[in-house]
Amino acid sequence: MPQFFTNKRLIILLGSIIVLVALIGFSLRDRENLSWPEQFVKDIVGLGQAVVSKPANGFAGFFDEVKDLRNTYEENKELKARIEKTAQLESDVARLKKDNEELRKVIDKKKSLADYEPVQATVIARNPDRWYDVLTIDQGEARGIQPDMAVITAEGLIGKVKNTSKFTSTVQLLSAYDSRNRVSAVIQGKSNVYGVIEGYNQEEKALLMTKVPYDSKVKKGMLVATSGKGGVFPEGLIIGKIKKMVPDEFGLTQTALITPAASFNDLEHVMVTKRSMTTVFPEKAERKQVLVEEGNL
Amino acid sequence: MKRLYLPLLMIVLFFSDSVFTTVFPEMAFDGKYFIIPRFFTVGLLLMAIFFDRNTAIKYGFLFGFLFDIFYTGVLGAYMFFLPLIVYIVSKLVKVLQNNLFILTFIVLFGIFLLELILFQLNVIIKRTEMDLTQFMSLRLGPTLLLNLIFYLLLALPLKSAFEKLQRIYND
Repeated sequence: MPQFFTNKRLIILLGSIIVLVALIGFSLRDRENLSWPEQFVKDIVGLGQAVVSKPANGFAGFFDEVKDLRNTYEENKELKARIEKTAQLESDVARLKKDNEELRKVIDKKKSLADYEPVQATVIARNPDRWYDVLTIDQGEARGIQPDMAVITAEGLIGKVKNTSKFTSTVQLLSAYDSRNRVSAVIQGKSNVYGVIEGYNQEEKALLMTKVPYDSKVKKGMLVATSGKGGVFPEGLIIGKIKKMVPDEFGLTQTALITPAASFNDLEHVMVTKRSMTTVFPEKAERKQVLVEEGNL
Repeated sequence: MKRLYLPLLMIVLFFSDSVFTTVFPEMAFDGKYFIIPRFFTVGLLLMAIFFDRNTAIKYGFLFGFLFDIFYTGVLGAYMFFLPLIVYIVSKLVKVLQNNLFILTFIVLFGIFLLELILFQLNVIIKRTEMDLTQFMSLRLGPTLLLNLIFYLLLALPLKSAFEKLQRIYND
């Protein structure tokens, strides 16, 4: 058998291991956005990817449409029943919206945590090695997308923007395994229950909402939405429905298992939400006042 | 002009992975299994065997780098391990016999090695909570099966393509 590693090769191997560790360390660092060479490469590959994926999506869409056609009759019946309710709901929503606006004017509060401006985007790629649930979409900084913005589909929240380049962005799904993947959420009921969504249970296919008070009356099927209190996501984006409640390991709080409203699979069109109220901190002038008041105490 | 066919072929293989991921319905088989396309890696290994090892190492380095930046975000992983796999596989081919039947096992071994290394890497950097048994049953088996099918379908065409390209490059 020939000698496997000669001296020169051994040096190359050791050298590249050092470079590898350095590079991995660099890319896992807690950084705000990509460096410019990375953005540049991403834009170029993204261009090629967009060219390739559009016809591929069309091709896949064709089969989905055929499948849809078979269910059309059933769906139509069900939808007709629902449409009657919708008209009533619509008029209610319009009236409430107007009420809300007027009342806001009265108390001189123009911006709300719930306001956002949606940016439409198409998914051009999904991480093929699937170790980490990320998508690439075809809109980037050029359209005002910034890291940490919420990404939704028509059904509900799916994730957040991880990083951006000029013309593409990477979206980290809620199902990705990352301890920093946290969403401040609220269980909507007679009295709202707040908690933090951290993590995804692969076997149950459910999101985990921890730190729900042990005495809160949460029932199966209650809606969970973003609370807007985390500072980045707008308020009121649907996340999912309660599947069940389990006490946590110390019995002081509960953990809610939430069935996500949006499916994380086979995504094609998504929306990035640009929140119009960008900060949760009071404006600088107000902040000073707060400090003074605290000083007096 | 004909020399451009080689990079073109590799680019097509590179994008074929992600196109497969988007087109293939993820909920197939209850969405339980992770079926990972490694078409580019299969192509790269065949390139190392039938074209030229050193060129394959360079291509592995370059496309691994693109893969890291565009898809995974962990720089260095594919950039370093693709060339390593190419190197190991080409050494194995020299020791073992060089016919398509034996090569099936060698190429599958290369993919197995790549999956295993990346699994360990992802465990170390805490990007997955899979354990070894889950990895073996849910991920490794289906992945090897898919790539075996790909290999059986495209090994012969790819082999003849690389041999033709070698003649073009030698002229």
